[in-house]
Amino acid sequence: MEVISFDRVSLWRRTQEEFSYDIKQTIFSIASGKYRVPAKKLIIDNVNLIINAGEKIGIIGGNGAGKSTLLKLVSGILEPTVGKVRVRGNIAPLIELGAGFDENISVRDNIIMYGVLLGFSRREMQERIPMILDFAELNDYELVPVKGLSSGMVARLGFAIATDVQPDILILDEVLSVGDQSFKNKCQHRIDKFLNGETTVLVVSHDLGFIRSSCDKVIWLNRGRIEFIGSGPETVDRYLDTVAV
Amino acid sequence: MAMSIKTNSRLSATQRYWELVSVLAGREIKVRYRGSFLGVYWSLFNPLTMTGLYAVIFGAAFKKYYHDSLWEYILAAFTGLAVIHFYNGSTAQALTSIVGNASLLNKIKLPVSVFPVSIIIANTFQLLVGMFPLLVIVTFLLSPNLSSFVNILAIPLPLTALLLISMGIGFLISSLYVFFRDLPFFYELVQFVLMLSSPIFYPAEIVDPIIRPFLELNPLYPVIESLRQIILSGALPDIFLITRALLSGGIILAIGWICFNWLRPKFMDLL
Repeated sequence: MEVISFDRVSLWRRTQEEFSYDIKQTIFSIASGKYRVPAKKLIIDNVNLIINAGEKIGIIGGNGAGKSTLLKLVSGILEPTVGKVRVRGNIAPLIELGAGFDENISVRDNIIMYGVLLGFSRREMQERIPMILDFAELNDYELVPVKGLSSGMVARLGFAIATDVQPDILILDEVLSVGDQSFKNKCQHRIDKFLNGETTVLVVSHDLGFIRSSCDKVIWLNRGRIEFIGSGPETVDRYLDTVAV
Repeated sequence: MAMSIKTNSRLSATQRYWELVSVLAGREIKVRYRGSFLGVYWSLFNPLTMTGLYAVIFGAAFKKYYHDSLWEYILAAFTGLAVIHFYNGSTAQALTSIVGNASLLNKIKLPVSVFPVSIIIANTFQLLVGMFPLLVIVTFLLSPNLSSFVNILAIPLPLTALLLISMGIGFLISSLYVFFRDLPFFYELVQFVLMLSSPIFYPAEIVDPIIRPFLELNPLYPVIESLRQIILSGALPDIFLITRALLSGGIILAIGWICFNWLRPKFMDLL
């Protein structure tokens, strides 16, 4: 069963080459006749792609190849300019850990808020609190404001919340393990569970060793185009050949 | 991890929207007041101080327009300030609400409008707990008879209009701020113009009759008029004034919502 499909998808975005966007300058440039429509750039170029349920997909490519943008299209944060993206099932983005926290409210309130942002109800999150605190090893900190935690603890909390659920599609963007060594092992264990389970996983990483060994299929992106799709070792080797000095 | 987790109840779009708004508005209130319930009453500090200030400075000069009663001038100024204070606070906070959550919007798919909406809802809660009881008490004290209950029941109507106006302006400026980052500078000026052009601390009679019709272009003007009529006049609520206030609110909300939706597809390129 296909869970993600890209049908001739292209995306144009504003380049953000202006240093600032403000009223003063806009009025000024219109008045002096220098106003021009902001330039747009092709970020994703005619991508066709089908991902089936349970597949573990790796995405590789140089900086600015469009890897993260592709993931944003999958999660619906960006809409394609041309073509169609179809996604079936609920998506859990393993977001940059801690991006959604408000450090002025308690760990408990943050768990609920973070969960609601990810698409759960408050009641459901209340039931999950003990499990999440347990995994993050933060049982003593339930009522402490997040600013009172160390950065490692915050990262642990973020990981624990985002992975507490078994999503249909899991998106990993360069965040694989956090915290001290013992917690890293715990994270690795949980990620392995996703990788060996039913969940469809999309990973963006520069860790080619990890991609080669854990992904069924690897997509190599180059300047917004799919350069090659194939098995882990094959794609990674081809990619390495082109970047070899 | 138990397999039962798979059954995570998928929320409908409306449910999700409501969950998001209540959790974000709840955070807003918590951060502001740190859980202490009395904290909300601090929101009365500013309008009450301003009222005192106006009374001291302008009271002597303006009371002749209020049946020579300083008390009447004070109450008129206070009701006007209650409106403008809510408007200023909620829209200024809504202004930065989308840009301020840019990093979140880049990580998770969210309906963007939850950010300005939750700010307005948090401020409405503050209004209901802090200002509203005070307005009810004033209404009752001015005409302590049965008919004042009708007036008390009517107070929420102009306040609803105020809410709609703030929501509409909140949508408008929060989306414009994505494209024009110097907007707060200009919006301060707009706020000052609105403040000065809604007859809060001066009687409308002192304005040149040629200019006066322009004051009515101010969307807050009918709200203040209606609220004063309900609370201070002692007469039954004027349906015409209420309707005009609500109409003003409806129009502003529609304009704000249309602009917001027109600009929304372009947000993500600049966040």
